[in-house]
Amino acid sequence: MAKTDIGPPDYKTMLPPVISRNYGKWLYHEILKPGVLMHIAESGEALYTVRAGSPRLISTDHIREICDLAEKYCDGYLRFTSRHNIEFLLDDKNKVDPLIAELTSLNYPVGGTGHAISNIVHTQGWVHCHTPATDASGPVKALMDEIYDYFVTMKLPNHVRIALACCLNMCGAVHCSDIAILGIHRTVPKTDNTRVPNVCEIPSTVASCPTGAIRGDMKAKTVTVNDEKCMYCGNCYTVCPAMPIADPDNDGISIWVGGKVSNARSAPKFSKLAIPFLPNNPPRWPEVVEAVKNIIEVYASHARKHERVGEWIERVGWERFFTLTGIPFTDKHIDDYDMATETFRTSTQFKWG
Amino acid sequence: MPQIELAGKIYEVDEDGFLQELDKWNEEFAQAYAKTEDIEGPLTEEHWKIINYLRDYFKQFGIAPMVRKVCKDNGVDMKKLYELFPTGPAKGGCKLAGLSKPTGCV
Repeated sequence: MAKTDIGPPDYKTMLPPVISRNYGKWLYHEILKPGVLMHIAESGEALYTVRAGSPRLISTDHIREICDLAEKYCDGYLRFTSRHNIEFLLDDKNKVDPLIAELTSLNYPVGGTGHAISNIVHTQGWVHCHTPATDASGPVKALMDEIYDYFVTMKLPNHVRIALACCLNMCGAVHCSDIAILGIHRTVPKTDNTRVPNVCEIPSTVASCPTGAIRGDMKAKTVTVNDEKCMYCGNCYTVCPAMPIADPDNDGISIWVGGKVSNARSAPKFSKLAIPFLPNNPPRWPEVVEAVKNIIEVYASHARKHERVGEWIERVGWERFFTLTGIPFTDKHIDDYDMATETFRTSTQFKWG
Repeated sequence: MPQIELAGKIYEVDEDGFLQELDKWNEEFAQAYAKTEDIEGPLTEEHWKIINYLRDYFKQFGIAPMVRKVCKDNGVDMKKLYELFPTGPAKGGCKLAGLSKPTGCV
């Protein structure tokens, strides 16, 4: 039998020598230019990091190409960041510009540092998952094409984290990103009661519903959905394959804003609903791209230095956010889940738009 | 839907080999299927104890038992469960017992 439970390889065996030598002994760092970092150690040694974008979903040929670059410029060492960017780690400053030149000639965008829009954390979409309400790779490409300039420069008030999840399972970071793109359904699942007894556990299906819209009948081996109570989360389909919910005409995307995970200045925040629905419009999702670009531009021109999207909105107030961005405020924006009252305004303090 | 022939009978199964007509389950099905789940030779008394327990629980409650429940009620630990069913209590045990395929983010 094959060896099991051996865990991942020890990361220390894969560190560039300059990092091994100065591990835990870094003094400071600087962003030399977009996509290039310099870390200085107590010993005086310098580490140069060149960050390049990646589509996350990549072929082995592409990985080999990255390896060839690492072989040529950084003795075969590289890393991937937590936003799926590639970082080439060099100890020789003279190799930085030739590496960037070659990356540019191969169409790798160099950037994603500082007050930029770095890579979009995203999910599987129509490439591999069975519960999505939208695609992941497609909208991410369409959007990054349009906001490419923000990746390779550092001209925003602070960095803007964008994330995408193709259903509200929210794999990844949509619930805590400056701007989040989230796939949603708008129709009730279609229960196939001939399949339910063979492929579903009825009690688990009933328990999967956050609003108690599903009722089970163990004797007849069926479930029924109360359409009035259903809010189309699709959780029952995750649990019971006989309740498909995907609907090409009514599935689409919602946009959320103002989340963050860091504790800098203000506490971490959840992102909140900005746009309840935009249609799926492959392959370029123009409505989604336009909406996100608008939010970025309004933020960029109104926020103060170092203010994250959520901090800016809380300072100016949500009514001002909707006025400035021109996004219509609808009944869909008003929370009606179990902790809803905490999100209502219990004050006379507000602005007339 | 794919079909599989085991011990001279045809069964409807899904792409992962889970039985699609749960009322067609029988002991020959379990025995003939054991090999594809890395179980060598005939099913032992210990195997049958778990399989029958899973079937009884599913019949009574409509769900597969949680793994802690399986261990506690049968006096076995996870290690023993994996010795009996090398592909695990869900993929191996439930498949042989003719329960519906485990769902969710598996």
